[in-house]
Amino acid sequence: MAEITNVRLMVGLEIHVELATRTKMFTRSGSPACAEFDDAPANSLLDPVVLGLPGALPVLNKSAIEMAMLVGAALECSIARETKWDRKNYYYPDLPKGYQISQYDMPVCFDGAMEIPDPADPSGEHMRRIGIIRAHLEEDAGKLLHEAPGGGAIDYSIVDYNRAGTPLLEIVTQPDFRTADEVVAFARQLRNVCRFLGVSEGVMQKGHMRFEPNINTIVDTSDGREIRTPIVEIKNLNSFRAVQRAIEYEYAHQPKRWQKDGVEMASGRKTTRGWDDVKGVTVMQREKEEAHDYRYMPDPDLLPLVIDDAWRESVVSRLPELPHARAKRYEHDYGLSAKEASALTDERDLCFYYEACVECVGAQGVQADVAGKQAANVVLQAGAKRANERGVGAWELGISPQQIAGIIKLRLGDEIGSSAADALFEALCESDEEAAAAAQRLNLLQVKDEGQLAAWCQAVIDDPANAKVVEDVRGGKEAAVGRLVGGVMKVSGGKADAKAVKEKLIELLKA
Amino acid sequence: MGEVPDYPEIDPRDRGAGRSRPLCYSAAVNLTDLTLIELRDAIARGDTSSTEATQASLASIAAQDGALGAFLQVFEKEALEQAARLDARIKAESAGAVGALTGVPVAIKDNMCLSWGRTTCGSRILENYESPFTGTAVQKLMDAGAVIVGKANMDEFAMGSSTERSAFQPTRNPWDPQRTPGGSSGGSAACVASRLVAASLGSDTGGSIRQPAAHTGLVGIKPTYGRVSRWGLVAFASSFDQIGPFARNVEDAALMMNVICGADELDSTSARVDTPDFLATVNQPLTGLRLGVPTQAKDENNHPAVLEAFGAVVATYQSLGAEIVPIDLPNIGYGIAAYYIIAPAEASTNLARYDGIRYGRRAEIGPGEDLVALYSKSRAEGFGPEVRRRIMLGTYALSSGYYDAYYKTALQARRVIKNDFDRAFGENNVHAVLMPTTPDPAFKLGAKTEDPLAMYLEDFYTVAANLSGLPAMSFPVGMAVEDGVKLPIGAQLVSPAFDEVRMLRIARMHEAATEWHLQKPPS
Repeated sequence: MAEITNVRLMVGLEIHVELATRTKMFTRSGSPACAEFDDAPANSLLDPVVLGLPGALPVLNKSAIEMAMLVGAALECSIARETKWDRKNYYYPDLPKGYQISQYDMPVCFDGAMEIPDPADPSGEHMRRIGIIRAHLEEDAGKLLHEAPGGGAIDYSIVDYNRAGTPLLEIVTQPDFRTADEVVAFARQLRNVCRFLGVSEGVMQKGHMRFEPNINTIVDTSDGREIRTPIVEIKNLNSFRAVQRAIEYEYAHQPKRWQKDGVEMASGRKTTRGWDDVKGVTVMQREKEEAHDYRYMPDPDLLPLVIDDAWRESVVSRLPELPHARAKRYEHDYGLSAKEASALTDERDLCFYYEACVECVGAQGVQADVAGKQAANVVLQAGAKRANERGVGAWELGISPQQIAGIIKLRLGDEIGSSAADALFEALCESDEEAAAAAQRLNLLQVKDEGQLAAWCQAVIDDPANAKVVEDVRGGKEAAVGRLVGGVMKVSGGKADAKAVKEKLIELLKA
Repeated sequence: MGEVPDYPEIDPRDRGAGRSRPLCYSAAVNLTDLTLIELRDAIARGDTSSTEATQASLASIAAQDGALGAFLQVFEKEALEQAARLDARIKAESAGAVGALTGVPVAIKDNMCLSWGRTTCGSRILENYESPFTGTAVQKLMDAGAVIVGKANMDEFAMGSSTERSAFQPTRNPWDPQRTPGGSSGGSAACVASRLVAASLGSDTGGSIRQPAAHTGLVGIKPTYGRVSRWGLVAFASSFDQIGPFARNVEDAALMMNVICGADELDSTSARVDTPDFLATVNQPLTGLRLGVPTQAKDENNHPAVLEAFGAVVATYQSLGAEIVPIDLPNIGYGIAAYYIIAPAEASTNLARYDGIRYGRRAEIGPGEDLVALYSKSRAEGFGPEVRRRIMLGTYALSSGYYDAYYKTALQARRVIKNDFDRAFGENNVHAVLMPTTPDPAFKLGAKTEDPLAMYLEDFYTVAANLSGLPAMSFPVGMAVEDGVKLPIGAQLVSPAFDEVRMLRIARMHEAATEWHLQKPPS
């Protein structure tokens, strides 16, 4: 058999986003994707519609369709002028009506794209454009459980219908991904976009987003052939790590499978696999794509939905500035690097926190670009360092944007040094004091008293340990004075103004 | 056969029902003989009470329903409690405060959810099902002061035209116990025709109110699709189902319409239109009335008595000054075929929820049997043969590869049938279409159970209104005599959407000029 000379990856992604409407998609019962009903006890978010009781009828929750329109707009999709609801018929105990209300041939959003920074480009400048085929709304099913609540074997199954009827946006991309990194970058960015839009909390562990990559490879062989391996769909991945590993696993194994069985891509040869996170392997679930006949039909209980220009405009006008647009603005307006800007925008809460800091600094009369740059420095240095150590977000350290603005004001006014600023940040994480008051209390303010400064400098000059350096400076090597400045800073406990110290040292040494 | 017999003994009270006039109540007056409006007014005047009326109704049911089989459940205790509460309110406040129905006992079809008793839909699969809520139309009845005495028998899931498809019992026609009252709302029709209650609610998916109304000599209305909320009506075919009233005359039916109609935010297909006062103008004849009579109305396969009665209706309207406009409904012949594809298709998915998992009948499965066994056994045990047949028909029609040929084509037929009516109301400028309700009078029990197609053809004249969403009603227009037994015949009006006010006025013109609605079945 010919040898494999190259393997290229091809991935398309389906993403299920549970929209965080307050009530379910077709009834007034609370929705578990909304924080308010997050930890509702099993089978407590029910009503006749959720349970599909005889005589119950669905009524569309307008906010579900508006959230879908918002996501569509963020993904540059066309928004349908008319859409409708279809019944997807199948039996499963977690599906109360024996059909799922979905959108078959008229999705609410279609033909869009999202750009992501190319993970292969370290500069973060080059972008990859991922096409969006469609995004449609459907209702989620309940959960079938095969273990007793809290664990323990049972020889029957139990159902929790809380999730049944939660609005679910299913987004389908073009097979535009070439690496697992791209898929994960896209997935992370989409999660972030959804959080910026306020349509999802995006808590992966709670299943707010689930990913189903469709993966195959293009294999080049030494005899000049180009083989496409059969498509594998991986079901229900709910962590970025699992997405990454499952795709990489398939990338590695599909060419080997082909070498073994010679099966190439063809219609009807798509298989479905699951991801075993413990063993780190994908596992066959459905051998052949079963000819599922869902007998789609328009739902006669719901009217077709017309989205007129006025409605669409009113929803789209609520579209907030999206993270990548914010990042561009930070680069342009505040002079941040692409890396800094992206670090500040790839998490909604951090971004909102940063902007609050910028606003507070600006409110003190500081010019916008300076405020943006200074706030970025504090958030990304003092903030990120501690956030990292403590395993929380920088916005969760306990220091308020007002306090951060206070630190920046002291720094810009040369009232504290950089190490003192860091100490002050640390202190304010545990205190509600104003920055200036805390600096005063902690004795962190710079000492500007000439006599004190001269005394510290003289003490350092007189220290025998510094005799060599002192001689060098006197001999004309002015750069050596830095060592002495460091000494003075140490002696002063960081309270001396480094610039003033340097001047004073030179003055004393040249005298 | 075919000649119109002469009935001398007409209750002299009955002409112009609803007009207020003194009634002398003695022990001899049977409260259940009163029409809905008469009974309501009698309660309002204090001549009798809701409790007395309810007791009289319950007593009649106890005496007669064993033979009739109209009721699946009778709520003796709850009904008397309801009546007592209403009487107390009438006494404390006023009759008007209690609502337009002021304590009269009524019956509802057993596919309407009620928060007490069982809601069986005539099916084993829901034999012990208790609904936790009450549907909108029934709630409106109660809010208007009606007492719910019981739930009426029906073909299982409203699939049938004879009420023989009830999983529990057949209902007999009060005019001839050998015959069916029609269906699927046969129980709702039989209990009003035999004076057990003055009015009832049925549901009409392909003729299930109008056909039994015709077979039992009643007025039965299928309102415009969307006029009455479907919240709490157990779905058969969602795009067809409508709740409507049975009553002994047009005025009573108009009063019921006043109560049950109205927009409902719990039903997305409920029409956002105002509810007119159907009763206020019902006695005003229409001047310049133009009635469209389709060529298909005079099908020579129709029963001779039906043909004759229909001729008489036409003549009556002409004598009242109406212009009879011959029209053509060229596609009406596709109605049955289209209906028996779309309705089962919708039913096949509407009935998927009866899977034995959450409620309803669940079959026992043996060790080693899986989920599929649980589903198929539960459904096979729970559903009767007609329901199974329609689920299979609908499943087939929606299957990949057949959808376009069946379901989609049927939708196109539905559209052209609607266009036929639009043309009649538009180009021909008729106020309503007049045609028979059924091709034949009531048939004998068992006559069509082995021949589903013959049973389906019962709906020939009625399905068109469901396919097009238009309001339609049947009203009594004659009698056939079969085997020496009198059997009522109905005629049907189909009107433009939301034009029930005029439809009722047109029907009332005929009623005021004739005495068919005063006939009483033999007791």
